[in-house]
Amino acid sequence: MSQPPRETIQKQIQQDWANREYIEVITGSIKKITDFLNSFDMSCRSRLAALHEKLVSLERKIDYLEACVTKGETLT
Amino acid sequence: MSVSEKVSLSDALSNVDVLDELTLPDEQPCIEAAPCSILYQANFDTNFEDRNGFVTGIAKYIEEATVHANLNELLEEGNDHAVMLYTWRCCSRAIPQPRSNEQPDRVHIYERTVQVLAPEVDKLLQFMYFQRKAIERFCGEVRRLCHAEKRRDFVSEAYLLTLGKFVNMFAVLDELKNMKSSVKNDYSTYRRAAQFLKVMSDSQSLQESQNLSMFLATQNKIRDTVKDALEKINGYEDLLADVVNICVHMFETKMYLTPSEKHMLVKVMGFGLFLMDSDACNINRLDQKKKIRLDRIDRIFKNLEVVPLFGDMQIAPFNYIKRSKHYDPSKWPLSSSPNPPSPQADLMVHLPQIREEHQNYISELARYSNEVTTTFKEAGSDSENRAVTELCLRGLQLLSSWCSVLTELCSWKLLHPTDHATNPRCPAEAEEYERATRYNYTSEEKFAMIEVIAMIKGLQVLMARMETVFADAARRSIYAELQDFVQLLLREPLRKAIKNKKDLIRSIVVSVRETCGDWARGCEPQLDPALRGKKDADASFAIKVPRRNVGPSSTQLYMVRTQLEALISDKSGGRRTLRKDLDAATLQQIETFHRQSFYWMYMLNLADSLAKCCDLSQLWYREFYLEMTMGRKVNKCTVRHQHNEECNDLITMEKRIQFPIEMSMPWILTDHILRSKEPAMMEYVLYPLDLYNDSAQYALTVFRKQFLYDEVEAEVNLCFDQFVYKLSELVYAHYKQLASSMLLDKRYRAECAARGASTGCGAGRYASLLRQRHVALLGRHVDLCALVAQRINADMHRALDAAVAKFEAGDITGVVELEGLIAVNRLCHKLLSRYLSLDEFEAILRESDHGVLAPYGRITLHVFWELNYDFLPNYCYNAATDRFVKCRGIQFAPVVQREKLQQFGHAMLWGSKQLSLAYSAQYAQYNGFVGPQHLHALVRLLGYQGVAVVVSELLGVARGLLHGTLAQFTRALAAAMPRHCKLPRYDYGSNGVLGYYHAQLTDIVQYPDARTELFHAFRELGNIILFCMLIEQALSQEEVTDLLHAAPFQNILPRPYTAEGEKLETKQKRLEAKYSALQIVQNVEKYGTAKQSQLSREGDLLTRERLCCGLSLFAVVLRRLRACLAAPQWPAPPAPPHHAPLHTDDTAEFHRLWSALQFLYCIPVGDTQFTVEELFGEGLHWAGCTIIALLGQQRRFEALDFCYHILRVQRVDGKDELVKGIPLKRMVDRIRRFQVLNSQIFSVLGRHLAADDERAGVEHVRCFPPPAATHHN
Repeated sequence: MSQPPRETIQKQIQQDWANREYIEVITGSIKKITDFLNSFDMSCRSRLAALHEKLVSLERKIDYLEACVTKGETLT
Repeated sequence: MSVSEKVSLSDALSNVDVLDELTLPDEQPCIEAAPCSILYQANFDTNFEDRNGFVTGIAKYIEEATVHANLNELLEEGNDHAVMLYTWRCCSRAIPQPRSNEQPDRVHIYERTVQVLAPEVDKLLQFMYFQRKAIERFCGEVRRLCHAEKRRDFVSEAYLLTLGKFVNMFAVLDELKNMKSSVKNDYSTYRRAAQFLKVMSDSQSLQESQNLSMFLATQNKIRDTVKDALEKINGYEDLLADVVNICVHMFETKMYLTPSEKHMLVKVMGFGLFLMDSDACNINRLDQKKKIRLDRIDRIFKNLEVVPLFGDMQIAPFNYIKRSKHYDPSKWPLSSSPNPPSPQADLMVHLPQIREEHQNYISELARYSNEVTTTFKEAGSDSENRAVTELCLRGLQLLSSWCSVLTELCSWKLLHPTDHATNPRCPAEAEEYERATRYNYTSEEKFAMIEVIAMIKGLQVLMARMETVFADAARRSIYAELQDFVQLLLREPLRKAIKNKKDLIRSIVVSVRETCGDWARGCEPQLDPALRGKKDADASFAIKVPRRNVGPSSTQLYMVRTQLEALISDKSGGRRTLRKDLDAATLQQIETFHRQSFYWMYMLNLADSLAKCCDLSQLWYREFYLEMTMGRKVNKCTVRHQHNEECNDLITMEKRIQFPIEMSMPWILTDHILRSKEPAMMEYVLYPLDLYNDSAQYALTVFRKQFLYDEVEAEVNLCFDQFVYKLSELVYAHYKQLASSMLLDKRYRAECAARGASTGCGAGRYASLLRQRHVALLGRHVDLCALVAQRINADMHRALDAAVAKFEAGDITGVVELEGLIAVNRLCHKLLSRYLSLDEFEAILRESDHGVLAPYGRITLHVFWELNYDFLPNYCYNAATDRFVKCRGIQFAPVVQREKLQQFGHAMLWGSKQLSLAYSAQYAQYNGFVGPQHLHALVRLLGYQGVAVVVSELLGVARGLLHGTLAQFTRALAAAMPRHCKLPRYDYGSNGVLGYYHAQLTDIVQYPDARTELFHAFRELGNIILFCMLIEQALSQEEVTDLLHAAPFQNILPRPYTAEGEKLETKQKRLEAKYSALQIVQNVEKYGTAKQSQLSREGDLLTRERLCCGLSLFAVVLRRLRACLAAPQWPAPPAPPHHAPLHTDDTAEFHRLWSALQFLYCIPVGDTQFTVEELFGEGLHWAGCTIIALLGQQRRFEALDFCYHILRVQRVDGKDELVKGIPLKRMVDRIRRFQVLNSQIFSVLGRHLAADDERAGVEHVRCFPPPAATHHN
C-alpha cells in the first residue's frame, strides 16, 4: 500500500481536528439546549405547582362557601 | 420558521447562547440531587475504530490498538455475563414440579418448563462458551507477550491494564458463578425436564449439556482453569508481576478516577498474586528478587480489607493470598493480623477530612462560578483554562474519593455483620441481611453517611450546573497543552535525534507529531530548522500554535501516550533503553506530559465521569443476600446446619422475594433522620431518597432489567408514602409545639424549665423542605409541598375537632381551655400558612364546630346543654367573688351524662407531653367555678349569634319555671298564707312581733317542699337572670376593648395633657395630624377606588355604631320575663295601677308571699346545717326581687315586709331573746344583711328597667364614646 504524501496526511489530520471541533461545538450546543430544557422544565413545574395550589385552595373555598350558602339543602 | 429556511451556524450558535439569557425562576431551594428530565451524554469513544486513519503512527502500536479493541469487546461481553449472573433470580422455585410419575399433566408441566427455561439456559450456555473463549484469548495474549523474543520488549501501560481488567473479570465471573446456586437449581430443573422429554437427542447436545452441568456445578471452575492454563506458559509470572506492579503503581499514585477502577486495581493485585503463586513460582521469592513488593501490597490490603466485587457482593482480596500455596503470614504483617481494624470500617475517622475538603472545594467553586456567571468571556486564556480544568479534575477526584469511602464502608459492613452480642439493639433472631444493614450502623455512622451522601450529591449538582463551562475549558486546555507539547516541545528532542542520527527516537517523535499535530497551515512548517537538526538561528523561527475547542480523539490520545511511553520506558527489548538518548530536561517534560495526560480521557468525557464518580446505586442492590437467604428467614431454623429446600427445621417459612424496607439502606438513612428529628440533618432528607434514583437508573441502563426497576419503584412507592406521612407529622407537631410554647406565659415557662419540664420547642428546619415543589423521584416530579399541605390540612381539622370534642366531654368550665386550644391552633395555622396553603382558619373552625350547615354549632349546643343540665341546677352565685360555684358536697340534680373523652395524641392538642402537662396545670385553675373568665371566653367563642341563641333558650327555661313549678308553688303557698297579716305595733316589742309572724306564717315555715324544691326553682330562675346579666357585662367589655382598639384608626384620640396656658384645640389638632396616617376612611378615600372608600366608610360606621343604640340584652330579658308574669299562667298578677287603694294587711300579692319566704330563710339555722346562702346562693334573692320588681311591687315589699318590720322594731328596742327557738338578734342580723342585698338587687334592676322604660317607644340613638382614661389636670 503506497502511503499518500505526508503533507496530505497532515492536512487530513488537520481536517479531522476541524471536523471534530465542529462536532464538539454542536454537541456542546445540544448540551446547552438540554440544560435549558431541564431548567425550563423545573421552572415550569414550580410555577405550575404554585398555580395548582392556588386553584385547589380556591376550589376548597368555593366548596365551603357553597355549603355556607345552601344551608342544609341538598348539595349538587 | 419554515423548514426550508436556512440558518447559518453562527446564527444557530448565537440562538443557543441566547437561551442562557432567559430567566427561568425556580423558587425552591436546592436540597436534592441533580434533577434532570432529559439526560444528554455524548460518547466519542470509538474503541479504536479509527486506528487506520493514523497511518503515520508506528505500526506496532496500531496493531496493539486492534488487539485492544478486541479485548475491550470481550471485557464488555464479560460484563454482560456478570450482569446476567448477578441479576439471576431463581425460576425453578416458581415452577410446579410433578409429584409422581403418575401425575397426568406431568408431560405438560415438563413441556412448559423446557419452554420457559430454554432461553435462560441458552444464556448459561453462552456464558460457558464465553469463558472458554475469554480464557483462551487471555492465555493467548499472555503466551504472545511471554514469548522469549518478546519478553524483554516494552509492554505498554494500557496493555497491562487491559490484562489486569481480564484478571478482574475472571475473578468476578468465578465468584458470581460460585455464589449463584439458583443458576444450578434452574439448570437441573431444566435438565430433568429436557431429559424426560428427550429434547436433547443428539450426542453432541447431550455432551454440551453434561459439560454445562459440570461447569456450573464445579466451584472455582473459571479460576482454576485460568490458573492451569497460565501455569503451562513459560515465564507468565513475570508478565503477571508487571500487571500487579502497574496496579500497585497506579493505586499508589492515584492514577484512577472512579471508585470501581480503584477497587479493580486492588482485586487485580489479589487475584494476580494468587494466579502467580504456583508450584513453579513462589511469590515470596519474587518479592526477594524485588520483582514485586509484597510490603506495599500488604499496606494496600490492610487499608482496604474489603472491596466491592459486584453489586452487594464483596471480597477480601487478602483471602486470595491466604488461599495461595506459599502463603507466609510473616510476609503480611499488617493484613494477617486482625488488629488494628482496617480504617475503612470507620467512617468517623474520614469525616473531618471530608468535611474540610468539601468546604474548601465548595468555596473555591463558588468563587469561580460567580466569576463565570457575572462576566461573559468568549474563551479564557490558556492558564485560566488550565486552572479551571484542574479545579474540575480535583472536584471529580474528591467526589470519587468520598464515594469510595462510602462504598468501602458498606462493603466492610456487609462482610462484618453485627450480632446480638455486639449490638444489644439487634434482636437475637435478626436475619442475615438485617444484621448486615439495619443493626450494623450506629446513629453517628448513619448521620455521617447521610452527610457524605449529601456532600456528594450536592457537589454533583454544582458541578453538573457548570458542566458546559468545565467541558469547554477542559477541551481548550487539553488541546493547547497537546499542541504546544507536540509542536513546540518535541522540536528539541527531534532536532537532537536528527542531529545525532538516533533513528528510532526520531521516528517515534515524528510519529507522535504526525498523529496529532494540528498545524496552523495545514502541514508541518518545512522551513523549521529543527527538522534538519539545526538550532534556531538568531532571527528566531516562530511557530504559531493554533487554538481549538476540541480534545484529541480516544485513539489519538492512546497513540500519543503509548508512543511517548515507549520513549521513556526503562524496558526495551534487550536493546539499551531510549531513555539514555534523551537529555534529562526533555525526559522530565515527557514524563510530566505522560502523567498529566492520563486524566484527559476522563476530562473529555466529563458528563460520564461525573456520573460514575457519584454513583451510589449499589447501596440498594442486594441480589447476593436475596440469593443467600432464598427469600426466606433461614435464621429461624432451630438446627445449625446447611440449609436446603427440604429443611424441616425452619419455623417460619416466610416466602418473599424482597427484603422489607427497614433493611434497605436508602430507607434506613431516610428514616433515621425522620426518627431522630435532628434539625441539622433535616435538610438532607431528600439525598438518601435519591439513592433510589441511582439504583433505578442503574437497573435501567446497566443491568437493563425491568424487574429490578419494578422492585425499586415498588419500594419507592412504599417509602415515599411513609416519608410524606412521617414528615407531615413532624412538621405539624413541630409547629404545634412552637405555637403552644409561644402562647405559654414566659415566666411560667421559665419555672417549668427550672423544674426540669422543658416546654420549649426544639429547632426545626423544615422551611426549605416545605418549599419543595418538584422532588425528582424515578423520573416523576412530586410536589412535596402540596402533599404535606394536604395532610396538615387534615391534621388541622382533626385538631380542632379534638378541641371541641374535649370540650364536649367536660363541663362548662372547659370553655377557657377550649379557647386556649383554639388560640394555639390558630397560631399554629398562622405559622404554617407561611409555607403551606391551608384552608382558612375560620372555615376550618366552623367546619369542626359543625356550624357550616347548621345555624349554631357544637360549641353553642354544648354550652346550652351544660347550662341547662349542670349549671342552672347545680351552681350557686356568690356576688362577693362574682362566681358561680357548686354547693360543696351536694349534687342537686342527677349527674350529667357526657360524651366519653376520646384519647388524642399530643400533637392534636398541645404539641407535646410536657406542654400538655403545663397547660392542664394552667387550666385546672379554671375548674370548679364559673366566673368572669368563663363568661368572657363564652362571649368570644359564641359571638352575638351564639349568645342570642343561648339567652333565648334560657328565657324559654325561665318561662317554663315561672309557668310551671313556680306557678304551682305560688298557688299552693298563697293558699297557705293567712288571709290577713298586719304590721304589729312597736308596743309588742320585737320579740312579740317575731312571735306574731311566726304564728301567722307557721304553715309556710313548716311547708315541707320549701327548701327542697321551691327555693331550688327560684335559685334556677335567679341563675338564669344572673347569667344573662353577667354575660351582657362580658359582652360589653369585649365590645369596649374592640372599640378601644379601633379608636386610633377612627380619629378618636385621648385628650392630651395641657399645661397652663396651652390650648387644648391646638394640641388636639397636632395629634390628629400626627396620626392622620392611621385614619382608614380618609386614607382609603384619598387613595382607593370609589368602591373601596364606600366599603371603608360602611365598615367604620359599623364599628362606631356597634353600641350606638345602647341596646341592652339584659333589658330585653327583663322585658320578656315581665311578659311572662303578665300572662294568665302566672297566678299572682301584677299590682293594679298606683291610685288603687293599698290594702296593707292583704296577703294576696306576690310580695307578701315573698315576705313569707324571706321570713323563712331569715330564720337562722344550727351550726351543723347548711345555710340558705350555701345552698342557694344569691340566685334565690335575685329571682324573688326580679319578680317583685317586674310586678311593680318593690315599694310595697319594702314597706310591708315582715322581716323588715321585725328589724325596724328591733332597732328601737334592741331586744335579744329566744322566741320559739329563734335567736332574735341573729335573725335580725340576717334580715339586715338580706335587706342590703335586696336593695342592691333592686337598684341594679331599677337601673335597667328605668333605661328600658325611657327607651320604650322611641329608640334614642346615642354614640357612646369609648372610655377614655380619666384625665387629671
